[in-house]
Amino acid sequence: MYIHSSSFDLQGERKSMYKQSENSFFKRGEKTSPISVILVTSGSRGNKLLFRYPFQRVADCTSSLTTKQRSPYALNTTGDVLEDPDGDSREQTPLTDQQLVAGFSDIILATILATKSDMCGKKFELKIDNVRFVGHPTLLQHPHTIQVSKTDPSPKREMPTMILFSVVFALRANADPSVISCMHNLSRRIAIALQHEERRCQYLTREAKLMLAVQDEVTNMTETDGSPQSPFRQILPKCKLARDLKEAYDSLCTTGVVRLHINNWLEVSFCLPHKIHRVGGNHVPPEALERSLKAIRPYHALLLLDSEKALLAQLPLDCSPALVRLIKTCSAVKNLQQLAQDADLNLLQIFQIAAHLVYWGKAIIVYPLCENNVYMLSPHANISLYSPLAEAFGQQFPGHDLPSMLAKFSLPLSLSEFRNPLDASVQEAQLIQMVVWMLQRRLLIQLHTYVCLLVPPSEEEPGLLRDEELPLVARVGGRSLSTPSALSFGSPTSSDDMTLTSPSMDNSSAELLPGGDSPLNRRMTETLLASLTEHERQVILNIPAAQSPEDLRMFARLLHYFRGHHHLEEIMYNENMRRSQLKTLFDKFRSVLVVTNHEDPVISLFQSPLE
Amino acid sequence: MHLSSILSLIPKGLNTYVNKVPEEYISRELFDTVQVYIITKPELQNKLITVTAMGKKLIGCPVCIEHKKYSRNALLFNLGLVCDARTKTCALEPIVKKLSGYLTTLELESGFISNEESKQKLLPIMSTLLEELNATGACTLPIDESNTINLKLIEQRRDPLIVQEYDVPVFTQCKDHFIKSQWDLTTQQILAYIDGFRHIQKISAEADVELNLVRIAVQNLLYYGVVTLVSIFQYSNVYCTTPTVQSLIDDRSIQEECLNYVTKKGQKRACLRDVFQLYCGLTPGTTVRDLCSRYSQQLQRVDERRLIQYGLMKALIRRLQKYPVKVTRDERSRPPRLYTGCHSYDEICCKTGMSYKELDERLENDPNIIVCWK
Repeated sequence: MYIHSSSFDLQGERKSMYKQSENSFFKRGEKTSPISVILVTSGSRGNKLLFRYPFQRVADCTSSLTTKQRSPYALNTTGDVLEDPDGDSREQTPLTDQQLVAGFSDIILATILATKSDMCGKKFELKIDNVRFVGHPTLLQHPHTIQVSKTDPSPKREMPTMILFSVVFALRANADPSVISCMHNLSRRIAIALQHEERRCQYLTREAKLMLAVQDEVTNMTETDGSPQSPFRQILPKCKLARDLKEAYDSLCTTGVVRLHINNWLEVSFCLPHKIHRVGGNHVPPEALERSLKAIRPYHALLLLDSEKALLAQLPLDCSPALVRLIKTCSAVKNLQQLAQDADLNLLQIFQIAAHLVYWGKAIIVYPLCENNVYMLSPHANISLYSPLAEAFGQQFPGHDLPSMLAKFSLPLSLSEFRNPLDASVQEAQLIQMVVWMLQRRLLIQLHTYVCLLVPPSEEEPGLLRDEELPLVARVGGRSLSTPSALSFGSPTSSDDMTLTSPSMDNSSAELLPGGDSPLNRRMTETLLASLTEHERQVILNIPAAQSPEDLRMFARLLHYFRGHHHLEEIMYNENMRRSQLKTLFDKFRSVLVVTNHEDPVISLFQSPLE
Repeated sequence: MHLSSILSLIPKGLNTYVNKVPEEYISRELFDTVQVYIITKPELQNKLITVTAMGKKLIGCPVCIEHKKYSRNALLFNLGLVCDARTKTCALEPIVKKLSGYLTTLELESGFISNEESKQKLLPIMSTLLEELNATGACTLPIDESNTINLKLIEQRRDPLIVQEYDVPVFTQCKDHFIKSQWDLTTQQILAYIDGFRHIQKISAEADVELNLVRIAVQNLLYYGVVTLVSIFQYSNVYCTTPTVQSLIDDRSIQEECLNYVTKKGQKRACLRDVFQLYCGLTPGTTVRDLCSRYSQQLQRVDERRLIQYGLMKALIRRLQKYPVKVTRDERSRPPRLYTGCHSYDEICCKTGMSYKELDERLENDPNIIVCWK
């Protein structure tokens, strides 16, 4: 058709929306943002806190310099809290997020976060009152230095050895478990990169040395001058690693997309799905996302959320060429199977890349755009006159306003109906572009037709489905109509069992031989109908349309779709049938079929959050 | 000098260990690894600490009591609970905190922990604690003649939605299930008016209770899952099905519940096909009135109001609300306050006192206003 990349600035919109709400996020204590990032190590010099961000401003510290044992930056959080005799109340005074972690001095953090070596290589989770710390302590080994020191005749230099380190994120204690998991994942990724760089060129040791030097310097200055300073502020300009950690923290708090270059060499990239997949103010939990992605079918299509150009610009230089090819050939009217052919990739690869793009919030799964698609206003759409979306729409399509367009979709509208120029001034192509624009911003949902077999009950029957009658699909052959099972996250690709070819080759129970009312076909029909109860069979056979063997055969063949879980387009795809054929069939057998329209639950996730 | 007692609390089965070096459930290695979180530096005292290690989770609250009478001038102790790493332990935290508070008081009053004799009582106390918490989620621990500790595991629930004046509360179970005398006075006063059809504003007017009090009381009921919220019923309402409607076919228990709920009183139970057809007959553009005239045969044994109510409660159907938006206006006129696309007809009618019909008439004649349904 005529939809191709348009310069939709979705990223820009998203960023500006973040700017507005950023302040309220910080004040409210956004549950998906970290409160602080902390780097600790443990080694021959004991446990040390190398860096933390955010660090307190000098004006905040109340404790005087007289207490020499504690760091001058510790706040006494338990000091002015009322003692509750029953110990019932959990949050006595609502502290801001910053105060929650600021109350922990550097020394105590170093003690509790730099764990023993037997906790290394695993997820570390510690909760203290309202703060939760999560990290991945990593062991370091120095096989090189040990060997060198044996053969090196020069006088033994005292190299303080680092045994382990940990990048720890502090979160609110009531953060979602999936957020905690994600933060742990990021901590682990950074740790892997740091471990690698340490082994290659002692990067971490060098950075640590710098950080500690600055800390010592500032402590000395404080003791002589008496004016408290934050060493971490001085560390930032001098240490790349500190700047990386700060960047990670800032990114997590805003866009949720982290891209670091450790030692300007290794890239660490990460995205927090909770920030990226926000629909209607709620986040989509990653598990739900993964489940949906596993259920997508070859007849679905991939709709990019950014323009092709913008997306390609974001990719790193060494990205997979398959990804680039896919982005270039992708279109909202092409289903994934066609995309596989056009991009010259196999279907499994397409599924994996598509899932990757969706996970990173760069694309969504839709049904390919065509004339007969029926769309309706999403219940979660923001139809406010003053929303940023309305403004953006006005800029993109001058002379039109979003609420008027959306009002047209108050009743389900097919694309062909919408295209009939309701007013001649609007070009057809632009109408389609508007629909794509609205789909990208989750303003529209697509409705599909679902069919269910329900036979009028006989006099004796209680009118309920008996236990043997559910689930019909399992009884009739159980053909696998699902996506290749090798599609899972983080697992190595397996090129076998990528089998979703055209389903007409896949038929087991439904292979039909041509030629009218042959005994073989009759047998086939009988077998298929055998899965029904006697009463159901009788009712169906009594329908006038059932007298035609062709119609009856078609009905019997499609029987297992009539449980309300397969929509019209899916049946069309699987059985290679035309819409008109199916509609006629439904009409003929309408006395035993109940038809309803609603969104596809598999992809509705991308349009509405879970309740 | 210090006493560290660790109890293990496993959902199925129990082990109790009270000693300085617990064995079996808590291995030596585990204890060594987490020791720093159990007997802690001064800065961490009186804080609830949960640490996960080696497949176990330990929740404790370290306490320090300084006094000359103790050797080393201080007594440090920590009564903690241990469970599997995958357990959700939010409900256990208040218990640990309470226990540490109680033990502190006992120690300060009568030297309960430091005294060799009374220390022995700790073992049976902890056994009882474990048994009862595992069994019923509540326990009563008599310490001595004058002191008893009462503890209860309280389930954590999600924050409830804000209740609006146009929402309609409906009981999730039969009203008589609930012992009315246990509820607060406001709730008792409004209970009789919650019938699944009156909205908050109406309840407030008829029960003669201030609106915000009704909202808070209903929100409280919502929190405990006693009621759920649906929208106002009118014959002019429009609904449509959701993907969940298929659960009526798939799930036997929902079928039973539904058919029992929607059948007219005194009639033979409605059949599934009729009810399913009715739900599927709800489409955008179709009012309930239209449904009644089209499906009169199916409605012979079905109460349409309860049909809608059940459908909303179980999310088999959803309501399509009307939202007026003023798209064009003169430069001089005021910006729209209610016709912005953020307020539904329900809300506008509640706030202004107009009826639907009045509002419809007003808006239909205004060319500047368009209406969105969602």
